[in-house]
Amino acid sequence: MTGRRIDLQDLLFGLFLVGVAAFTTVATWSLRVGTAANMGPGYMPRAIAALVCAFGLFFVGRGLVSPFKSIAPPQPRAVIFILAAVAAFAVLVTTAGLMIASVVTIVIAGFASREMRVVETVLFGSAMAVGAVLVFVQALKLPVPIWPW
Amino acid sequence: MLRSLCLLVMAALVGAALQPSAAEAQSFTRAVRIVVPYAPGGSSDILARLIAPKLQEAIGQAVVVENKPGGSGNIGADAVAKAAKDGHTLLLLDVGTLALAPSLFADLTFDPQKDLAPVGMIMFAPYVLAVAPQLPVKSVAELVAYAKANPGKVAVANSGIGGMNHVTPIRIGKALGIEWKNVPYRGGAAATRAVVSGESQVIFNGVSGSLQFVKNGQLVGLAVSGPARLASVPDLPTFDEAKLPAGDSGTWQGLMVTAGSPPELIAKLDAELRKILANPDIAQKIADLGGTVKADGPAAFKAWLAENVKTLGEVVRENGIKGE
Amino acid sequence: MDLFSNLALGLATAVEPINLLYCLIGVVIGTAIGVLPGIGPIPTVALLLPFTFGLDATSAFIMLAGIFYGAQYGGSTTAILVNVPGETSSVVTCLDGHKMAQQGRAGPALAIAAISSFYAGTIATVVICLLSLPLSALALKFTAVEYFSLLVLGLLAAVVLAHGSVMKALAMVLLGLLLGLIGIDVSSGAARMTFGVAELGDGIDFVPVAMGLFGLGEIMANLERPPVRQVVSQKVRDLIPSWADLKASFPAMTRGTLIGCILGVLPGGGAALPPFTAYAVEKKLSKNKAMFGHGAIEGVAAPEAANNAGAQTSFIPLLTLGIPANALMALMIGALMMHGIQPGPQIMTEQPQLVWGVIASMWVGNLMLLVINLPLVGIWVSMLKIPYRLMFPAIALLCCIGTYGIANSVFNIWLMLGCALVGYFFIKVGAEPAPLLLGLVLGPQLEENFRRAMLLSDGDLLVFLQRPISAVLLVVAAMLILVLLSPTVFRKRKEALAE
Repeated sequence: MTGRRIDLQDLLFGLFLVGVAAFTTVATWSLRVGTAANMGPGYMPRAIAALVCAFGLFFVGRGLVSPFKSIAPPQPRAVIFILAAVAAFAVLVTTAGLMIASVVTIVIAGFASREMRVVETVLFGSAMAVGAVLVFVQALKLPVPIWPW
Repeated sequence: MLRSLCLLVMAALVGAALQPSAAEAQSFTRAVRIVVPYAPGGSSDILARLIAPKLQEAIGQAVVVENKPGGSGNIGADAVAKAAKDGHTLLLLDVGTLALAPSLFADLTFDPQKDLAPVGMIMFAPYVLAVAPQLPVKSVAELVAYAKANPGKVAVANSGIGGMNHVTPIRIGKALGIEWKNVPYRGGAAATRAVVSGESQVIFNGVSGSLQFVKNGQLVGLAVSGPARLASVPDLPTFDEAKLPAGDSGTWQGLMVTAGSPPELIAKLDAELRKILANPDIAQKIADLGGTVKADGPAAFKAWLAENVKTLGEVVRENGIKGE
Repeated sequence: MDLFSNLALGLATAVEPINLLYCLIGVVIGTAIGVLPGIGPIPTVALLLPFTFGLDATSAFIMLAGIFYGAQYGGSTTAILVNVPGETSSVVTCLDGHKMAQQGRAGPALAIAAISSFYAGTIATVVICLLSLPLSALALKFTAVEYFSLLVLGLLAAVVLAHGSVMKALAMVLLGLLLGLIGIDVSSGAARMTFGVAELGDGIDFVPVAMGLFGLGEIMANLERPPVRQVVSQKVRDLIPSWADLKASFPAMTRGTLIGCILGVLPGGGAALPPFTAYAVEKKLSKNKAMFGHGAIEGVAAPEAANNAGAQTSFIPLLTLGIPANALMALMIGALMMHGIQPGPQIMTEQPQLVWGVIASMWVGNLMLLVINLPLVGIWVSMLKIPYRLMFPAIALLCCIGTYGIANSVFNIWLMLGCALVGYFFIKVGAEPAPLLLGLVLGPQLEENFRRAMLLSDGDLLVFLQRPISAVLLVVAAMLILVLLSPTVFRKRKEALAE
């Protein structure tokens, strides 16, 4: 491994920055740039995007010449279930109500860990859901339905 | 901590148990929402929270205030425009901004006149025209002369692009041939601070925001908008008396409902709103907010909205103001 | 002397039983909402406002103020225990506070947070009494020009927050600035990068970004690591800070308090600047810089002190000038007006009992917070005994509810989801999110003030050097950047020599 000269962390971060800079430039292309004295809405995005791009290129360059450094291989299980849990909450909270959304979110999120025990998580989720409704809806008056009906 | 939460919960439950029964009014079948399309704490929010408990007593259903801020109030207004047409979703907002919205925002997702139905106007709060003490003017005439002599130099602070107090100086400038330097700030408080510190020189802002500074000399008051002089600053002339145009400028707050809601419910809301506004206690609170009660029903409100969408829209288009 | 008679009047007002009761209610509610992520003090105060109409103005105001500083206080508990910053101010506390918790030192971290807050609250009360008038004069001296320079300095200082590469931290600040540009441009009304999404019009909310990057990103990264048993000790000796902890914290608290007192007065700086600045200063001054970001107790003490001191001194412009320093103070003005009191300079002479009563009640309230919270430390720490397999779904749920609750917006939940994914990527590539958050919070103000300064000076850049306060701030910023970059340069040289 010692012979390879790529720092993956730097390289990926650099590419990410260049990508963000390019995206910003495209997205704000139509805005008026103006001059330094009389700046238009497009001035700052363009200027910062240029700086971000410069940083990105710096990291790409440094990544290519630095000694090899890998990144820990991603484990999709945690990422997928956590994101799915959040998405489920977003979909359910205004349609099915806080009670159901809370239980579903906790159970889906639970699957992100290998140590998950189904019965325990469902019971815990139900308790959390009741607690959340009492605290957020009853006491703090968060305007959100409790049940789908 | 846990105990305090228990207390909170208990208080909420007791509160719920004390709500009046739904016996008297069959018309409202479930909780009514008043959507305030701004963050908590502004005039609209305070008004909604004043009115909600009284309305709850009157209609026998829970009335909850829901803040839905964002997009100059358009997000909350859009939510009400697209709500079920059953009269249970109300909108309390600054209707001056609403009248400006169609001409400012090309891609507005609702039509204020077609998708929302007026219930009633609630309050009008006039503007105070005030200047920084460093500015060598003591009257409207002197300000106009000074601004004409220094075109593009006099900075007018406004509380955001496309707001009523951004449009007001533009209307006046247009009519009198004044070229202001319009400086936008984030909100009325920031704009006021800037004029008090002398960073900008002129401001049109509500009585509640400016009056205290005028009274203690940190700002020099020149005139007030609206039909009559104010009891709190009797020596300030009205815009009309000072020969300034745009005398109808100010903040107008009104209550609306999803268009297509049952007319009986709108009539009921209108009647209850008038009763609530006739309450001297509420009138006093509205006066504390720097305004006067404006209990106009649906018809007058509708006419007001139509006229302002037209006249303000012309100002916006002629001056190329854009909200995009 | 005036000061003593004023303080005596204030204390007499504050210890009236009814005011003590409302102060207690305020700080308890404040602590509760601070601990719950997402439900901030602003909606809570708005919610309680109508209930205060029936109260005496002084009692009402004492309670509302208690909610505010109580929430500042409670927020650090969540930050330390589960790494979820509910408010801007607790981002910094996450850095070292949560590291301490992971090392089994949650008890001392929570206790030091409580003690620092009380200490800062005590000093800030004295500062308010002594310096209200000169400090409010300073606040008026700050125009767009001075703000711009202050913000530049603040953003550069943010780089110190990361304990990794300076370059990566700078890049993260820039990314934060870019995110901050999203929304309708205040100076022109043009929509930038909103892609037709109305919710983006007012810019990106801080809370979904913070919860996505910190809370959820951290969970995903944690789950990948081989499971580490949380070190939770219930021995009293491990709950209270050691003498060495206190000795290390004390100077940090003092500096943090001073920084908080000054920055809190400036309108616009809001909750973000004092804790960030205090942390940056500590890190620069500390003898063991390497500890920062790995559980340095000074890294908890200084920002907590700054945060609480700033929260209190932000009442100064409100009480003396009638000008709110932040959104919550604007709400307080609304509260005063609802009680028929016009805020402004005359309020000090017309309502001395209200002003001094509220000031004295802040000290009383801080004492209450200390008494309430120190015994609670044990309970909070024992919460860490909940197995992680149950803990992390609960955190995920609280993040969801909190994010929704900010503006009752489902869009914010999706935004948090996106930020969680990006946060996971940042952890993978070794980039730390704290500087990005400061960029996001301060970016819009930076641009606004720059453009406003340019507009008012007709495009003369020299204005930033002509005004003395601004010039000093910029010189300090220039020195800071030299200090920051020099180790990188030197290391490069060393590496080059080594090869």
